[in-house]
Amino acid sequence: MTGAVAGLVAPAAAPRSRENLLRRIVRHRADYLYVAPALGVMALVIGYPIYYTIHLSFFRTPPNLALDEKIFAGLENYQRILEADTFQEATWNTFVWTIYSTFFSFVLGFGAALALNRAFHGRGLLRGVLLVPYVISAVAASYVWRWLYHSDVGVIGAFATALGLSDGPINFLDNRQWVMASLIVVNVWKEFPFAMIMLMAGLQTVPEQLLSAARVDGAGPWSRFRHVTVPHLKSVILVTVLLLLVTNLNSFTIPYIMTGGGPAGASEIWITHIYQIAFGRIRFGLASAYSVILFVVMMALGYFYVRALTASEEKAAA
Amino acid sequence: MANWSKRLVPTRLIDRRAFLGSTAAAAIAAGLSTETWAQGSKTGVDLNSWTPKYISSIAGTENYDTAAECYKVVPKDYAGRVTYWYFGPNAASPQIQHEMDAQFWDAFSKTYPNIKVTKQNLDYNEMLNKLRTAALGKAAPMVARLPILWGVEFAAKGQLKEFKPEDVGYSRDEFWPGALKSVTWKEKTYGVPTNNETMAFIWNADLFKQAGLDPESPPATWDDVVAYSKQIKEKTGKNGYGMVARVNAGNTPFRFMPQLWAFGGGALDEAEASPTYKNIFINNAGSKAALQASYDMYVRDRSVPASALTNTQNENQDPFLQGQLAMMIAHPAEYAVMLDRAKKATGDDKKAADAVVANMRYGFVPKGSARRAIVFGGSNAHIFNPDIVEGGLDLNAAKALVCMLTGPEWSTKLAWTDSNPGNVRGFKTRWMKERLDTIKFLDVTTSMLPYGVPFPVLPQSAEIMNIVVPNMLQNALTKKMSVSDAADDAAKKIKDLMSDF
Repeated sequence: MTGAVAGLVAPAAAPRSRENLLRRIVRHRADYLYVAPALGVMALVIGYPIYYTIHLSFFRTPPNLALDEKIFAGLENYQRILEADTFQEATWNTFVWTIYSTFFSFVLGFGAALALNRAFHGRGLLRGVLLVPYVISAVAASYVWRWLYHSDVGVIGAFATALGLSDGPINFLDNRQWVMASLIVVNVWKEFPFAMIMLMAGLQTVPEQLLSAARVDGAGPWSRFRHVTVPHLKSVILVTVLLLLVTNLNSFTIPYIMTGGGPAGASEIWITHIYQIAFGRIRFGLASAYSVILFVVMMALGYFYVRALTASEEKAAA
Repeated sequence: MANWSKRLVPTRLIDRRAFLGSTAAAAIAAGLSTETWAQGSKTGVDLNSWTPKYISSIAGTENYDTAAECYKVVPKDYAGRVTYWYFGPNAASPQIQHEMDAQFWDAFSKTYPNIKVTKQNLDYNEMLNKLRTAALGKAAPMVARLPILWGVEFAAKGQLKEFKPEDVGYSRDEFWPGALKSVTWKEKTYGVPTNNETMAFIWNADLFKQAGLDPESPPATWDDVVAYSKQIKEKTGKNGYGMVARVNAGNTPFRFMPQLWAFGGGALDEAEASPTYKNIFINNAGSKAALQASYDMYVRDRSVPASALTNTQNENQDPFLQGQLAMMIAHPAEYAVMLDRAKKATGDDKKAADAVVANMRYGFVPKGSARRAIVFGGSNAHIFNPDIVEGGLDLNAAKALVCMLTGPEWSTKLAWTDSNPGNVRGFKTRWMKERLDTIKFLDVTTSMLPYGVPFPVLPQSAEIMNIVVPNMLQNALTKKMSVSDAADDAAKKIKDLMSDF
């Protein structure tokens, strides 16, 4: 009987599941109706551009043609990208830019958060001052730093000369060796307050009892930091690092305004390169293929971000 | 270096007008067989008559009634609307450009009180991308004033309306053939020239003197520029030549291509007597020699601003005014800008600025081994196709605007400090006379017209000039590639670009 019943029941399971889904939809139709407009808007403003970018990445769109005259080219755009010297250079630059920016923003942000988590006179003022880079517009900051770095009249170069560190102009932005490091400094200056805010918020949730217990057990400052604070901040750290990675990978304003990817491509990262291909050279097919590659990388980072966020929420719920 | 000054300093100072007159006369005397004549012929300028004296003699000889001319095309009571994008005066422009722009809009609203204008004054370096995007998104303006280099790309994409001078009541003879060529794509005309620019060579006479050079004579050749630049750096510690090599900024090709052409190079064969725009010259011996000259100044001598790779021309103005930079290629507007800035300066800065203004000199752009050349620049008024114009095209309103922009009066006034009116009748107006009387050095840039070379009339031109050529410069100047490899790399890019169409 069991076998016969099992045999009868098993095939019926799938339709019943669909039925349940339909029933669930009907039962919760009001909920679905509420979210439908938002879903519709998202499909229109996010879903369609993503679809169209992927679609366009398989077409040749020479600059003398309108987009409705594009020519199907299969994987040609992807092949051209992967074979181009500029791809290798831009990829390496993107890697350097993203990793160094994220690392130093995080380390500086963490250091500032730990320092500001202690009570001292003038802490509020210092917090405000350290937040200034974060609230300044990236465009304004880029222009100001461009002048500070200026090879001929920049203040930084003038200081270096006055202090005897240099005997002439320093080519921060006009030199292939210095340009990426110079841009990363600006980016870290702009980004570290974000890490600081996130980690300061996390630090305030570390239970004082745990720290006190560790202190009673004879744990020193480093041991308390390593064995109590860091484990407690694990989720916050992960989310902060992932958000910094995503932000830096997508960071356009600072490198574009300060150098436009130059000199000679030394500061060209994926996002500025994509912009240049699309709007400087009107190669929408090629730029779309580039964007799809970036999209895949972003989705991978997004996956880890969501996982980290979910783990954090589950932990909080527990 | 002492030999240079001995060889180049004449025994007596030359009067500027005498110098220009003699240069023009020398060009004429060189005869019809010279390369220079070929260029003059190509741009439609007759060297036999186009001298500073002739230009001065025709200025102020005729009067034109702009409103009456335009009413023949669009009646006064026409009611409509027009959208217009242009790069007009900005923070770096001399005050008079702002005033002329305001006067134009005032005059337009009085001439056509029932036409509503929605205008956008865009940044030069942003306008092209914005317009490309807007046109693709069917949100283009009705009328746009575009630099010579850009228009053909939009025409090739089928985004411009066929539109010729006759459509706004003017004869083709009223415009330079070189300028008309820039609005022509596959035998059809897509716009009307608004102004024609040719620049000149500007130098600081005091810095020349300090460096032991003749303060009243510009370098005669590009080899001299390299030598002068080195000498100025060595003797004064100041920068010699104001190089501009930023990528994706129009300033770069406008300053580097004259050097390239002078040595016998080119992006394609645009500087030849009968260009086909099919032969790539960017890696020929002349182009490599020109690139080597830039390399020598930037890398070997370090006699140009180190910031040249990120600079636009605007960034050269302050060091020039501070007496930190000796030479550059510039518009007559540069003098007006310097005057404005000197007026605004205070204290010691003002003294220094006044001294530099007093020491400003304009001369012909130097010759190379092959020719003397300058970019035949300027702008054209275009009308976009109705199907991509946001809100549809009001053709009559657009015609009224283009008629006003390109007539003898406003093509002169709107180009007040920017060399030449697009409509040649503008040279006969009283405003031209006023300009010649009040704008120092205007006659120099106007006299450079015969040496004007138009950029290749191809849709790829903007990419070649704004990206490929500056990248070639940057590859060589940063030592990423050798001079020869950088030129060969640029040739490959242009070849790929040409085969992409």
